[in-house]
Amino acid sequence: MSEVILENVTKNYGKVQGISDISVEIKPGLTGILGPNGAGKSTMMKIILGLSRPSIGRVSVMGNNPFTSWEQRKKIGFVPEYDCFYEHMSGLDYVSYFLQMHNNSLEKSDEMAKVSLRELGLGDAMDRKIRTYSRGMRQKTKIARASVFNPDIYVLDEPFQGADPSTRHLLMMKMKEWASEGKTIMISSHILHDIENLTDQIILINNGRMLASGNRHEIRNLMNNIPRQVHVTPIDSKNLRKLAKRMMDESWVRATRIDNNELIIETDSAETFYSELPRIVKKEKIKIEKINSKDDSLDSLYTKLVGGAQWK
Amino acid sequence: MEIKDILDRATNLGKPIIKDAILRLLMNKLTWILILILLLPAILGLWAYTNEQDERQVQEIGGDKIYYYDTENELAGTPIHENVRETFIDISNAFLIKFIGVLMAIMFASELINEEFNKKTIQILRTTPIRPFEIILYRYIAGVVCMFSILAVTSLIYYIITMMNAGLYGIKEESDVLFLVIKLLLLESVAYIGIFILISVYFDRPFFLGIIYWMLWEMIVSGGNYQQITVSHYLNSTLFQGLKNMGWDVSTEDFGLIKSAGDETLDLVTEPFTAAIIIAILALITVGLSARGIERRQF
Repeated sequence: MSEVILENVTKNYGKVQGISDISVEIKPGLTGILGPNGAGKSTMMKIILGLSRPSIGRVSVMGNNPFTSWEQRKKIGFVPEYDCFYEHMSGLDYVSYFLQMHNNSLEKSDEMAKVSLRELGLGDAMDRKIRTYSRGMRQKTKIARASVFNPDIYVLDEPFQGADPSTRHLLMMKMKEWASEGKTIMISSHILHDIENLTDQIILINNGRMLASGNRHEIRNLMNNIPRQVHVTPIDSKNLRKLAKRMMDESWVRATRIDNNELIIETDSAETFYSELPRIVKKEKIKIEKINSKDDSLDSLYTKLVGGAQWK
Repeated sequence: MEIKDILDRATNLGKPIIKDAILRLLMNKLTWILILILLLPAILGLWAYTNEQDERQVQEIGGDKIYYYDTENELAGTPIHENVRETFIDISNAFLIKFIGVLMAIMFASELINEEFNKKTIQILRTTPIRPFEIILYRYIAGVVCMFSILAVTSLIYYIITMMNAGLYGIKEESDVLFLVIKLLLLESVAYIGIFILISVYFDRPFFLGIIYWMLWEMIVSGGNYQQITVSHYLNSTLFQGLKNMGWDVSTEDFGLIKSAGDETLDLVTEPFTAAIIIAILALITVGLSARGIERRQF
């Protein structure tokens, strides 16, 4: 069952369009919402959170309208992109304060907040004022606030922003843990590498429009008209020219190029390429050291889908 | 059902919000600047006391020491407390209620609401299961408690300093005047915190708009025929009636409680009880509308 459903959702801010005609169903598990800055990721998240109302279209979160159903907010944990702290509070006070907003007693809230902050590695710093925290500590505090009440849905807007590698790793582990518990987790990011390490389930947006959604491999297969690059490195670099010439005889090869002991082959059909290449190299008696398709990474996927839009 | 739910949740939700809101107000530098300004008349009063305490006569009646102005004073023979009580009322009304009180309400409402918008903490609150009415109500209570406490303590200090020359007898004798001022400060806090919270919810520059409201509405309209749509009218009415009930010789003109009808002027006084009810209703309306503003606000 889909936890979050957007049907033809458009959001306008005056004459400026935030998102346009987005329809998507988000199921339990990890879903990456990807796009360059200003693509509409945060707008989409705000609509899901009920912080903003669609100008056109319908949004449903666990069967409810998020803008009007305040009770449903018991089940959603939100990590915003921006800082949102009461700087005079300690990390413990801050997390505990928002737990009390869930109608928990002070004692229970303090206890739960301590456990969550310790889990995220803030055990020693939780009594310090937030104004003294580093960016990584702030990010962990936000995560603690959003996760401490064990929500069913997580909306994480650029959760890795400002996080050092160890924090990044820790947060990824937590997200995977929540996903394995059947939670619905939406992560927006412009750092493609982070999302690649977490999930194959992605939604791509640019200029407020959804370009694609689904498994990243499925999305890639939809793009038959977009050539894929495969880097082939023969053991003996003398064979580079021979292989390049041979590959050009195949109809599914669009172009070849030699670069730093690598043969870069551009193909229309990756499937045919991977099935035919072993036969060709065996026949030509060329030994291959490695085959690498960088093009399969999300980076190249986005660059192609968004037409070269600049990423931060 | 909803009210019962809000009451049931009040202990868990209300306490931390009110506590934190009061802490924020007290940590604000502007609050302390206002407190320092408030203490200036008290310092002047102490200076006046030290200069004038030798220029009085005392008479003991029934164990009470009653102080009078001495023979060289133009008010010779008049009990000091009967004169300085007017000074207390004047300074309380002009400085405490109509100047610093309004500024404090604007500043507190801005800190309680606008700062939450600026720091985006309101967006986090909107994603937590707390009703918009609860978000506003507890901040409103914190604002009223904080403003009233500071002003009430200040009025007590003013009263004691003003009355010191009149001795303990004078302080006890005129305590009704102090209670009247404290009542006005409570009504003022209840009314203005609500109004300025409402402005803070709906507008981006609440401090500026608050000042405009104060100058145009409370200062100009309150002196005219339509003054019943201002808070000042109800505060003036309560003060006027209170003093009149204490036997003071006061006129409606002194408090601007008149309206012109052709060539004539008519009294325009609201009974204190009615004034209190109207201010309470105004507070409820402003809290309700503010909650609605938070509920419908899009980010």
